[in-house]
Amino acid sequence: MISLQRRLAACIVALALTGAAVTAQAEKPVFEIEIRNHLFWPSELVIPAGTKVKLLVTNQDPTPEEFESYELNREKVIMGQRTAVIFIGPLAPGEYPFFGEFHPRTAQGRVIAK
Amino acid sequence: MLLTSVILVLREVLEAALLVSILSALSAVHGISRGWIGWALAGGFLAALGFGYSIDTVSVWFDGVGQEVSSAAMQFAIYLFMAVFIYLIRVPAGSGGRNAAVMKVVMAMIVALAVTREGFEVLVYLFGFFANLKQLLVILVGAGIGTGIGISTGALIYYLLRSAPRGWSQVTSLLLLVLVAAGLSSQAAQLLIQADWLPAQLPLWDSSSVIAEDSVTGQLLYALIGYESTPTAIQAGFYFGGAALMLMISASAWLYTRKYRHGT
Repeated sequence: MISLQRRLAACIVALALTGAAVTAQAEKPVFEIEIRNHLFWPSELVIPAGTKVKLLVTNQDPTPEEFESYELNREKVIMGQRTAVIFIGPLAPGEYPFFGEFHPRTAQGRVIAK
Repeated sequence: MLLTSVILVLREVLEAALLVSILSALSAVHGISRGWIGWALAGGFLAALGFGYSIDTVSVWFDGVGQEVSSAAMQFAIYLFMAVFIYLIRVPAGSGGRNAAVMKVVMAMIVALAVTREGFEVLVYLFGFFANLKQLLVILVGAGIGTGIGISTGALIYYLLRSAPRGWSQVTSLLLLVLVAAGLSSQAAQLLIQADWLPAQLPLWDSSSVIAEDSVTGQLLYALIGYESTPTAIQAGFYFGGAALMLMISASAWLYTRKYRHGT
């Protein structure tokens, strides 16, 4: 029983260390997008495939927006005049559409992983 | 704009409505009065207002991923209350386990937290249109329609569960609850991946060509069983682990009940 508990504890420690190592690895490349008049600028963003990137989305509008993408599995509310941090990837090469859920007609864009 | 509002509100209402219908069906089966629902909805609404109001502050926590972390924490809390609930509902009344008052509090917490988690997005969305009265009216009509469809779907599921024979109704409700809980657990993991607290991986599979997440079926399945078309190994692990843990808790309560019955 004790050995099982020890093994379990060792597993948890190992997992935690892996997590820490992953978090502590080199800084991720940063990409920026702006929301202006319920539009994404740029609406197409090219990022390296197979790499996790840090996306900074700045909402220049006074009203809130929600960054949403089924393909990227991302969803985040961004209040007016605020910048949100969204980590995306690593992605397989391809196109990943995203949209602003509060203004989906105009706020459309896509991430292209190359 | 009307359609956007309908869809957005419906998506959020559907998840909470589903939980309310499953828990009400189980309450009815076990003869627990359903007065807790009103309190839970009101409490959840107030908490959603508070959370929506403070989202600006919350968002900057943990280097900008406070929104993900607090949402994930709420999802895990709902899961935890569900685990307590699924245990309590399987042990007989009076055995030191089940107690109608405790169960009502647990169910109310599940619903209130779900309403907080889903409701804040709707409120932030609605408040964004407060400056524009004409748009706000359209948005409110859409929100009303979305809420109506969501509640009707919940009512339909409730009556389907209630129309089945008692045993079936109970087993189906509990299984649905296990699946909803599994979905919550994997959604929480997904939020932590988004926050970079859990490592990101390439998806295990892509079933979006079979059932797209933004289709009606996809949305229903998302609310019902936490459907995800491109899950990663970690998400799948949280999903199946979450389901297995709930089933184990339910089984242990059943074994305890058998022992208790044979003991007396």
